[in-house]
Amino acid sequence: MVSVAGKVSARGVVRLSEQSIKEYPDLTGRITVDARRSDWRFRAWLEGGWDGTVLKPRRDHALFKNYHDVYQDNTPYLEFKELYAERSFNNIDLRIGIQRFSWGRLDEYPLNDLFNPWDYTRFIVRSLEDRKVGVPSVSATLSRSGWTYQAVWVPVFVPYRLPKSNERWAVIPADPNLSKISGAEVIQREPALPPKKLENSSVGIRAQRLGEIEWAFNLFHGFDPRPIFKSTALNVEQRRDKTFIDPGFVPSFHKITSIGFDAAAVKGDWSLRAEAAYALNRPFNVRPELWGYPKSIEVGATPLNPAEIRRDTLDYGIAADYRLFEDGMLTLQAQQTVIFNRPAALYDRTIETILWANMKAGWMNRKIETNLTVAYNPEHGAGMARANAYYTFTDSWKAGVNILLLDGPPQSLFGRYSKNDRVEMEVVYSW
Amino acid sequence: MNRTFGRGVLQYASTIIIFMIIMLSSSAYAMSGREVYEKVHEVRTKSLDHKLEATMVLFDKGGGKRTRTLVSYSKKGNAESYKALVVFKTPPDLKDVGFLVHARTFSDRDLWAYFPEFKRIRRIATNSQDDSFFGTDFSYDDFAGPSALDDYSFRILKEDAVDGKPCYVVEVTPKIHRKYTRYVAWVARDLWIHLKIEYYIDKELYRTGTFREVKVISGVPTAFKAEMENKETNHRTEMKLEDVQYNTRHSDDLFTQRALERAGK
Repeated sequence: MVSVAGKVSARGVVRLSEQSIKEYPDLTGRITVDARRSDWRFRAWLEGGWDGTVLKPRRDHALFKNYHDVYQDNTPYLEFKELYAERSFNNIDLRIGIQRFSWGRLDEYPLNDLFNPWDYTRFIVRSLEDRKVGVPSVSATLSRSGWTYQAVWVPVFVPYRLPKSNERWAVIPADPNLSKISGAEVIQREPALPPKKLENSSVGIRAQRLGEIEWAFNLFHGFDPRPIFKSTALNVEQRRDKTFIDPGFVPSFHKITSIGFDAAAVKGDWSLRAEAAYALNRPFNVRPELWGYPKSIEVGATPLNPAEIRRDTLDYGIAADYRLFEDGMLTLQAQQTVIFNRPAALYDRTIETILWANMKAGWMNRKIETNLTVAYNPEHGAGMARANAYYTFTDSWKAGVNILLLDGPPQSLFGRYSKNDRVEMEVVYSW
Repeated sequence: MNRTFGRGVLQYASTIIIFMIIMLSSSAYAMSGREVYEKVHEVRTKSLDHKLEATMVLFDKGGGKRTRTLVSYSKKGNAESYKALVVFKTPPDLKDVGFLVHARTFSDRDLWAYFPEFKRIRRIATNSQDDSFFGTDFSYDDFAGPSALDDYSFRILKEDAVDGKPCYVVEVTPKIHRKYTRYVAWVARDLWIHLKIEYYIDKELYRTGTFREVKVISGVPTAFKAEMENKETNHRTEMKLEDVQYNTRHSDDLFTQRALERAGK
């Protein structure tokens, strides 16, 4: 049995600040194929299109996104978000291929969901699952008497993806006023990836118990999917009449071990979820002013200070779903990160909090669907509001408007994108 | 004296008449409302071992039309326990969205939902039972198993006929909190299924349903066509059943989170 489904969406972005980087209209399509025969299953999810955030595409004719570059600016592009074969034996499922995993219970920033690095090229705009980069992996799932055990092995390291410095969602971890040098070209270097060795693979196990309270234990040992940068040396070169600047940082990758727990239960009219993870040796970048950039930029090399610090962290959070009215669901979520033995050099406080609220509602028998999300980081006074409304014309056609507003200090989670306030229009056709 | 005597006789006579009316009205039917619903429950309980496919067409007052197709599996356990899995096949937005129900009794059940878009299974509270089922005019409860009889009171209002089929018209009043304050159901006397239903919030009629093309499949009377209309919004939904099978004796593996994630395949 084969089933095929697909979706095409066209989007246009209106910037609310002229200071922000523009974005071209884009066209994205996805097609999923699910084929089953006896105990075998094959699944493919191919995504592709024209990415409007890429302003100067590389002319290397690469069509498929690869698994070794952090800065990928090919457009048009194709990418397998999933491509795997599965064989089922009684209560065991074995899968091999490009997979996405979904561990944990929280939305937006699940703490135990560490196998899939994220694509940050349209960071906050994309949903969690759309952000995930599928990873070549092997997984085995055993379901037995109320227990589900899953083991995952990702033999090949896959880096997260970051936007280039001229793209809308670019983040400059430490800005030595490079952008103020007119005519200068900033070079973004690809990092050296961890060698393809067995010790550089990521592994994890999850044991989940069903019952009145559902709970799961998670163990992960592998590369931290959160972006972090390694400082080298600021290099300014003058070639003919043009200035080339290598800002002296490259993405870096570190292995962590994370032990986590998550649970879900229903209490009265509330559906409750909780999650916690203790991570050993999680990397952080120090505050930008400590990287050692000179006050004035001059031709030549300037060594930079080490910018990475590693500390143990404890992340925990709770979430609750509550039906506010018919077809109206309110989700509240609070999560915190505790950095143990936090040095003063970190921008992050000892405890960092993110409070989320989401209100999803359907109107006119779900002809209109609206979604409002607000998030707030009290330690830095940073916040985000995201609202959208979609109208369904037919089973296949719908169109909608998304509004995104971001605010906060320049280094904060939301403040770093504060120029990116926008209104987006989208038309979607699915079949 | 005579006047007092006459008044006393009148009072006595009227008490007897009222008593007789009550007696006559309660004994006018061969069954009580509760007994009718015990029969309805028997049929609904029998239907709990099933596989069926349904197509729902949603009509809005502006003439717009949308379609949802789904497949439902259910398995009866001991006493009042049962398990059910409902998975959408279309429209594309809802494809493979599923619900899993583990009912310990008719009034105590666990509910999970799976949304492929989020790749996550969510436990959901069961307080939305009277809400619209994915934009249709049917409610979640219309797709759940029978309700606990003790949570309702029943009263036969009259006898009537729908499409020539004799019915008991029963008023059902919930003792527990529901969106509706009562409903009136036309229960087919020989088949013990609803042929027509009207939901009221206080005195206001807000939802009506009709059930037609009744066929008996494996001993279970089944309405192959149903229509539900919301009187407040003038929105209506037609549902057509296809491929109805009973006594399916599905494996327990079909009612697991693993099966929910795989859309029952």
